[in-house]
Amino acid sequence: MKHQINLDYTIPVGDLAPYFEALQRGDALARKCKGCGRVSFPARSQCADCNGAEMQWHPLIGTARILFRTDGAGGSFALVQFDGADTRSTVALSNAAQTSDFGALVKAPDGGNGIWLDLTSHDARNDDVR
Amino acid sequence: MIGDVVIAGGAMTPFNRRKDGSSFRDWARAAALSALEDAGLEAADIDALVVASESDFFTMQLNPAALLADECGLTGVAAKRVEGGGASGHLAVHAGLAEVASGMARRVMVLGVEPSASHLKGVDVGALYGLSFDAWSDGMTGIDSTSLYALSVQGFMARTGASLEDFAEIAVRNRANARENSNAHLPLDITLKDVADSPVVASPYRRLDCSPLSDGAAAIILARDEDLPTLGRSRARFRAASSAVDTVRLGERADPSFFAGKHRAAQKAYAMAGLTAADIQLAEVYDSYSGAQLQALEALGLAARPELPVNLSGGLLGQGAPVGATGVAQVLAAALQLEGRYFGKRAQNAPRFALVDTHGGIATLNAVSILEAV
Repeated sequence: MKHQINLDYTIPVGDLAPYFEALQRGDALARKCKGCGRVSFPARSQCADCNGAEMQWHPLIGTARILFRTDGAGGSFALVQFDGADTRSTVALSNAAQTSDFGALVKAPDGGNGIWLDLTSHDARNDDVR
Repeated sequence: MIGDVVIAGGAMTPFNRRKDGSSFRDWARAAALSALEDAGLEAADIDALVVASESDFFTMQLNPAALLADECGLTGVAAKRVEGGGASGHLAVHAGLAEVASGMARRVMVLGVEPSASHLKGVDVGALYGLSFDAWSDGMTGIDSTSLYALSVQGFMARTGASLEDFAEIAVRNRANARENSNAHLPLDITLKDVADSPVVASPYRRLDCSPLSDGAAAIILARDEDLPTLGRSRARFRAASSAVDTVRLGERADPSFFAGKHRAAQKAYAMAGLTAADIQLAEVYDSYSGAQLQALEALGLAARPELPVNLSGGLLGQGAPVGATGVAQVLAAALQLEGRYFGKRAQNAPRFALVDTHGGIATLNAVSILEAV
């Protein structure tokens, strides 16, 4: 017996809408806890550290350092630390052939979702002050 | 009291990729009827059914508890479905245990089933498994289960010095254990080189480091001694059952390489049982990946016990992983070991206490049970 269902979801994202809208622009918008100051990226509705519910939006510059990376048939992904964030993030790598340990947030390809990182040939995080 | 509840009987179907045209309803019915026979009971003796099935996407059946009650001749029983990702089966056992311990039911059937292999293409199952984590971040970024485990285990390697050869030894040993298990999906005679030569799935994990997608079902009957035929008095009983969650996103954990939720669940279980890790004499642990077995043993406090019989069933790597059935089969294997009637590889020394460990996500939702021989 064969059976097929095509599902087309529309998913409201509630109070995290600014975070997802920023990702669509290629911007990193974190959330900072007003209680303990922890900066979460991806953004959260409630602080995972102190359970504080008072959160404010906190833009990041979008650069990150690779902690661990994995490559396989399903793509290349990494656990990274975004500059200015207290949490780590799991990201997809858009230019997997690059072997750098540094990268910058970019828009998801083809209008997709999620956090994507473009690896850079050097640590561009301090370019502004050099 | 939890300690009054015994595993009165149980059964499982073979775990494999079905190619014989049989359906998940067939497997569920076969496991259920064999479990009843093993317990010396009939369908009319059961007053509650707890079904474990991870996803309606796999079965194409919403409300599966009602359907399977109907299929198994359990019309009129109380029925519910329990879901907790990879831990669904074990959490269903805990739900059934709570029903008996509380007096809500006298004899409960816990029935786990999943057509993880035969209904969908592997790539589609992989995409669905990606939603087992934070679907809005990890899932929609396209990160698959193997990649997340690969990121976590790299931290484990850096912190502990564990090597790829350590992982391969587990991949080989669990498949060797599975060769004595007639229900196992991957009873393989493989070498460390075979593991190292298998294709990369998500570095450092290779195909033979990964558990398979399996079809199958498992069922157990839970009850108090006094509500069973005399054979119930020889069955293994629960000493503890606990569960704990960790932060869903790997990146938000204090140490992404440490299974802190599993550690918490184990500590709660040891406290409930009045035991320590040193008292455990056999363990069935959640080895969705070879390195994950080492991460699990660390979190359970069993890493310093090289003599401990672990995953004699073959584990997920060898016995297979039809998700809803996995935890039920783990509990069944441990119980049968304690009763000295396990159908696969047996512990050399009859154990008194056995630990069962299962999780969903990446050790996100963790279930631990400790069983005791009579």
